[in-house]
Amino acid sequence: MTGSDEPDRADFEALFHQAPCGYLITDDAGHITAVNDTFVRWSGYTRHRLVGSTLQSLMPVGDQILYSTHCIPQLGINGSVSEIAVEIIHADGGRRAALLSASRSPGSGGQPAIVRVIVFSAHERRMYEKELVSAVRAAEESEARRAEAEKELQRLALHDALTGLPNRAGLKAKLDAVPGTGAQGSGRLAVLFIDLDHFKAVNDSLGHSAGDELLVSVAERLAKAAPDASAVARLSGDEFVVVGPFTGPGEATALAAELLEILSTPIQIEDLEIVTSASIGVAAAQGEGEGLEELVRRADIAMYRAKELGRSRWELHEPAASDPTVDRLRALGELRRGINEGALRVHYQPRVDLRTGRTIGVEALVRWQHPTRGLLPPSEFITMAEESGLVRPLGAWVLGETLRQADSWRREGRGGAGLEFAVNLSARQLSDPELVTMVEGALQLRDIDPSHLLLEITETALMADPDAALESLTALRNLGVNLAVDDFGTGYSSLTYLKKFPIDELKIDRSFINGLGSDSGDSAIVGSCIDLAHAVGIRAVAEGVETSGQVQTLRAMGCDLAQGYHFARPLPAPALKEWLDAHGDGEPAIA
Amino acid sequence: MVETVTSAVSPVIRRNNVTISGQADGPVMLFAHGYGCDQDMWRRLLPYFSDTYRLVLFDNVGAGRSDVDAYDRDKYASLDGYAADLLEICDALELEDVILVAHSVSAMVAVIAAAREPQRFSRLVLVAPSPRYINDLADGYVGGFSQEDIEGLLASLDSNYFAWAEALAPMAMGHPEAPELSEELRSSFCRTNPSIARHFARVTFLSDTRPMLEQVGTDSLILQCSDDLLAPPEVGSYVHEHLERSTLVQLQATGHCPHVSAPEDTARAILDYLSAST
Repeated sequence: MTGSDEPDRADFEALFHQAPCGYLITDDAGHITAVNDTFVRWSGYTRHRLVGSTLQSLMPVGDQILYSTHCIPQLGINGSVSEIAVEIIHADGGRRAALLSASRSPGSGGQPAIVRVIVFSAHERRMYEKELVSAVRAAEESEARRAEAEKELQRLALHDALTGLPNRAGLKAKLDAVPGTGAQGSGRLAVLFIDLDHFKAVNDSLGHSAGDELLVSVAERLAKAAPDASAVARLSGDEFVVVGPFTGPGEATALAAELLEILSTPIQIEDLEIVTSASIGVAAAQGEGEGLEELVRRADIAMYRAKELGRSRWELHEPAASDPTVDRLRALGELRRGINEGALRVHYQPRVDLRTGRTIGVEALVRWQHPTRGLLPPSEFITMAEESGLVRPLGAWVLGETLRQADSWRREGRGGAGLEFAVNLSARQLSDPELVTMVEGALQLRDIDPSHLLLEITETALMADPDAALESLTALRNLGVNLAVDDFGTGYSSLTYLKKFPIDELKIDRSFINGLGSDSGDSAIVGSCIDLAHAVGIRAVAEGVETSGQVQTLRAMGCDLAQGYHFARPLPAPALKEWLDAHGDGEPAIA
Repeated sequence: MVETVTSAVSPVIRRNNVTISGQADGPVMLFAHGYGCDQDMWRRLLPYFSDTYRLVLFDNVGAGRSDVDAYDRDKYASLDGYAADLLEICDALELEDVILVAHSVSAMVAVIAAAREPQRFSRLVLVAPSPRYINDLADGYVGGFSQEDIEGLLASLDSNYFAWAEALAPMAMGHPEAPELSEELRSSFCRTNPSIARHFARVTFLSDTRPMLEQVGTDSLILQCSDDLLAPPEVGSYVHEHLERSTLVQLQATGHCPHVSAPEDTARAILDYLSAST
């Protein structure tokens, strides 16, 4: 290497001044001590103007803050900064985008620290980055808007639009989110089920907007009065719940009492002062694992009891207390099993001709051999069977069993032969389009003469839908089956109707027979019924005959048939067979 | 000596990247860094205190090596969120009679914290504080900036978005005069998540903590720099007037970060104040 190859001081000066970027030297505070020609030219200032002033003073205020808060401490601690994006204000007032890198040499001895700065023009790059940044910002904003929309959608799904309270789903979500109050471990959770009294009347008389206003007011009052740790929700219509942790049922019912008081404050709606009241059911969790659904259901039951007991009050659900809904469902299940598994029995009560004293038939009466409650009469389960529709299979079974028994006695001969079998039909069976087919099939199965079958229909069932009843009865009559009106006198049938129906027999209700001889009114009714039956050409039958005096009176009145404990109680088939054999073959049943 | 603080102590320790050094039995000095940097900013000041004091440093959430995932825009939408963090750190470490040294915006975080839990702090050292950066023409308050200036800052932050995005920041080719720094420190120092920096800038420069000053009864030192763009002399006077039991000291150091540019002078002022008032 020769001396001529070494760059001399002039070369370095040329490199400094004519470098393709701006070079500056400053002190720690940014005061410019030296600046190259490139920067002087690029910035438009004179060298004189630049030296002594601070580098930051060439930047807009935003960049000055950035330089003070980011660059100076970084230079002090780290010794360098690189490619900081700033703007330099040109002497013409315009701004020039630039990138700034710098490194700092700490001072030593009496020498102050120096900072060496390079400034690149970065116009193109800045434009490009600006576009990218605005794209990033737009994406962030659109993402934020999407998230916001999603949040709003979820809020709508979980809240009731009218009152802003959580709905059923929202309540569940809210409770799931709070540890210790979720479906698990709800040891001290209690539910207050609040239902406004006579809310429908407000809607009907003042209109729905007034009703809505009332609901909003109730929601506000509940939300304000409920403890902080609890949740208030609107389940539907005028049903609200307050769910939260309580020390026990006492605290929950105290809140219920307080809420009743708060809700009874009159409010002004459309210039009218409306006084509301509510009924509240309270249920407190029994232990671990009792879920919200179950608690709400129990609180609902208690709320109904509060309504039944006169409204504007609270009731606490006692889980030990019997629950009518559950009882009913359990009983229905048992009855269904009973029908399928042969727990039903048919007992037979003799029907005696009052003129001859002979037994001319029996009435089939169903019994339920209940697994725990013993032998139950129809009064214990027929209504339930009727309401649930179980009465159809039940009725079909009773008819089939009775005809099977008729067939059996017919084969045995003696007292059981030639009897007329009376079987009860319920209202529901009467409206069953399959009824006639069912009866016909049952008769054919045992090859029983239809005239040996008497179907009894209560007066009430007959009057429920007289036209349909007429149709069914006519079809049955066409089969050759005999028909009776049961419990006569308890309904409101008129003679006109009675004449319309193809019936063969009128059974006078036992309540009138009871009063025979002691109550002149009853005697008159029974007498009239008998006369009425005869007037339209049918038999009159007395039920529930218990004394020989009643028998005498009925006979005197011209009543055709009678049944009751005086002759025999309903008996199982073998016992009845014995009774028939004892009283049969012309042996009068009447002493 | 650096004490080991594991995150097992408290999630707060991990969240704010709390580090402890100095004398384990010494009085506690808690350092709160300001806007734009992290706890390493105190590096040049610490040697003046480490022989006597127990030094507790931390990063604001979003800065340095804090847990960036803990950055919750709602929580940190005001300085209260930062004050809550500071008090949680005190609580987690059971710090008592704390000398709280706070720079820039954190000086106001310190004011809020001291108003909340006065019993926790024995002294406040407020370096270049400002309770409001924007001028308030209505009552003649001079903060030094206009609303437009702050918009300009946000634009500057945007300009540096890509440079600051993690792993993108190139290092200068040489830093011959800073041999004491490790590569790892260099690359992490003042690393900033650009989105958080922008949000923090907005919160910082639009904050108005003036009403809080009168709620503080703790002894305090105000360190006022020369030629500080962010905290002009009027602001220092304002803080001094409204902060009961405060002492105002004017430093020769220029700029906004005297603990970086003039650590010896800054330490001297703090030590003088602490010895004079004990």
